Amino acid sequence: MDALRMSGRKFSWPPKISKMGPRQRVNFRIGMLFLLPWTIGFLAFTLYPMIASLVYSFSIYHSKQPLEWVGLQNYATLLTDDLFWKSLANTVYLVAIGVPLTLLASFFCAVLLNLKVRGQSFYRVIYFLPSIVPTVASTILWLWILNPNTGILNTLLAHLGISGPNWMSNPDWSKPGLILLGMWGMGGTIVIYLSGLQDVPISLLEAAELDGASWWQRLWNITIPMVSPITLFNLITGVIGMFQYFAQAYVFRGSHGLGYPLNSTLFYSVYLYQNGFLWLKMGYASAMAWVLFIIILICTLLLLKVSDRFTYYAG
Amino acid sequence: MKNKTLWLVVSLLVIASMVLTSCGSKTPETKVLRVWIQWGDNPQQLQQLFDKYTTESGIKVEVTAPLAEDKILPALTGSEPPDILILSGGDLVKSYAKENLVMELSDAIQTGGIDLNDFFAAPLDQCKMGNQILCLPWGTDMYALFWNKDMFEAAGLDPNTPPATMEQLAEFADQLTKISADGTIEQIGFLPDQAWGHGDLYVRMFDGFWYSEDGTHMTANSQPMIDSLLWQQQFYTKYNADKVLALSSGWADAYMSADYPFYTGKLAMYVDGEWMTGPNFISQFKPEASYGVAPFPPPADHPERANTAVVQGTVAVIPAGATDKSASATLLAWMMSPAIVAEEFCYNANLPTSKIAAEDTCFTDNPKFKIFMDLMASPNATYVITTPISLEFNTSYGTVEEQVLHTGADPEPLLDALQTEFEVKLVEALK
Repeated sequence: MDALRMSGRKFSWPPKISKMGPRQRVNFRIGMLFLLPWTIGFLAFTLYPMIASLVYSFSIYHSKQPLEWVGLQNYATLLTDDLFWKSLANTVYLVAIGVPLTLLASFFCAVLLNLKVRGQSFYRVIYFLPSIVPTVASTILWLWILNPNTGILNTLLAHLGISGPNWMSNPDWSKPGLILLGMWGMGGTIVIYLSGLQDVPISLLEAAELDGASWWQRLWNITIPMVSPITLFNLITGVIGMFQYFAQAYVFRGSHGLGYPLNSTLFYSVYLYQNGFLWLKMGYASAMAWVLFIIILICTLLLLKVSDRFTYYAG
Repeated sequence: MKNKTLWLVVSLLVIASMVLTSCGSKTPETKVLRVWIQWGDNPQQLQQLFDKYTTESGIKVEVTAPLAEDKILPALTGSEPPDILILSGGDLVKSYAKENLVMELSDAIQTGGIDLNDFFAAPLDQCKMGNQILCLPWGTDMYALFWNKDMFEAAGLDPNTPPATMEQLAEFADQLTKISADGTIEQIGFLPDQAWGHGDLYVRMFDGFWYSEDGTHMTANSQPMIDSLLWQQQFYTKYNADKVLALSSGWADAYMSADYPFYTGKLAMYVDGEWMTGPNFISQFKPEASYGVAPFPPPADHPERANTAVVQGTVAVIPAGATDKSASATLLAWMMSPAIVAEEFCYNANLPTSKIAAEDTCFTDNPKFKIFMDLMASPNATYVITTPISLEFNTSYGTVEEQVLHTGADPEPLLDALQTEFEVKLVEALK
């Protein structure tokens, strides 16, 4: 009852404990107590490591000795590090090609899965299933699929008279192979699109149909604009995810070194990991992490900025 | 009154949960030593081995194996490192030592009464840095030439005579390579980097290495380095590198299966380690395989380099942060005792690093395994020279090797660039 009475009062934040009644104080304290686990977790495992990594990025990190302060040296070294640029270029390739392709394919699949056909639920399950397969397992599966000699993909291509590429050992084909792998697991994106498609007002589609609009015109002029906020969401989360691409590349190299073949799968996070955890250059890796944070931040802000031009919010 | 009772109950619950959490399941006075092992296909067997130490000493040993690569650094830098850490190779030990993450072992060797004379020289030498001993080898690996006798016979070669020189190996490889009418390679005679690179062995055959012998200078662009890469390159460029890669793609991932190309007749000769001759590999995957093993042949003009082989393999370190270093030293000494070395490496079919253990019949009765034992005792047995920048250099060298072998690139400018880059890094790291 107290809580209900409180809701009628003028809201003020932060609440002043001195002005609270005894019951409100108890509620406030219990509320704070419930918040405590998350707060401690956030402070200890998110905020502190972030601040620490920022400090490390300006130093040479020694785990058992004091930090060696080097100012901007780690950031300056990045500019002349060929592997840094190579890893960034590889990652941008995935972002620029992998994300749009995945969005396009997801939207296309979602449109198909939204059609009222027999077995609709079954098809939806089938398309969603790969996304719940663990990353390592799906990558190993794709290592078999992409095997140039015995893999199913090249075997199918051979039936069409096409000599399939060497997906795993040719640096020109390793990234497209990884993009295919990523597209196989796009079930999550499809589901989000599917929910967006179901929110497209039937009345609009019916009105357009009555006016003689073709399927393509309805899709282009009604459906796509109506799901544009979903596209923006998928685009931003896709870009952020792709910039942090790691596990698939780590497994995809098989028993070869990181980045195989010829550093074509040396992505940003892989190189960061290599510096920090294999070469013990934690300060340098921290600088890389902050540069990645800034890149992702700029990309996200840019996307939000330009999204006004292609996003339609019905409300 | 109600509020006070509520606060009291909540406070008591919080305190009780904290106390219970901190207690855990063991009492504080129970002594437990923790051994973390990077490799270990059979962790249960490793635990059973260390349970014997518990029986003898009353001290419980907890084995964690296998340990993922990315757990090693947190293990060493954390507040509770393991009492003994067993690494798959010695590549990073000097880097760890530079960061004061591992102990210098002279005192532990003395405390534990470890007899260094019982160690084979080559594996022990990889652990030394000047007068310091940073690790102790616990079993080790060596590499030799494996050849498929059936494929030799089919190619008109004597199945019991392996190539005697590196030049003859290339000739045999030509005879053993089959190319179909459409240019596809059906089988290949020799692949120098199967299932992984063996640049250390080849460059030793050309009497060089990428570091000077004392590990203080880079010799990445020396003539032996160039020669060894060019020698390897021929096995790709002669048959069209793209086609060789198309044939061999995925082979490394079939290593522990019956589909391995050496068993399926796709690969006639390659370099591999002693464990292949034990019960867990060829005997398991292709028991009927007819194969031979021989020391890798030397260059024709340097027969004195016969029986050159490079030791690589497991080493044990005591983390600098280990809480009871004396207990770690005692356990380390137990691990290094000939009986334990013999038991563990008979099981795994790896080379024992103890000379006494090496006399065990489980090692000497297998003639193919004995070839590796003889290699380890050979005066030409050597080890991989390591420095604090080893892993970073190895990664870059791996890329150069890939460029030279798989794209036909000229090794000289690539090695020059490597030399320039890493000479500076090595000098800096050794300061």
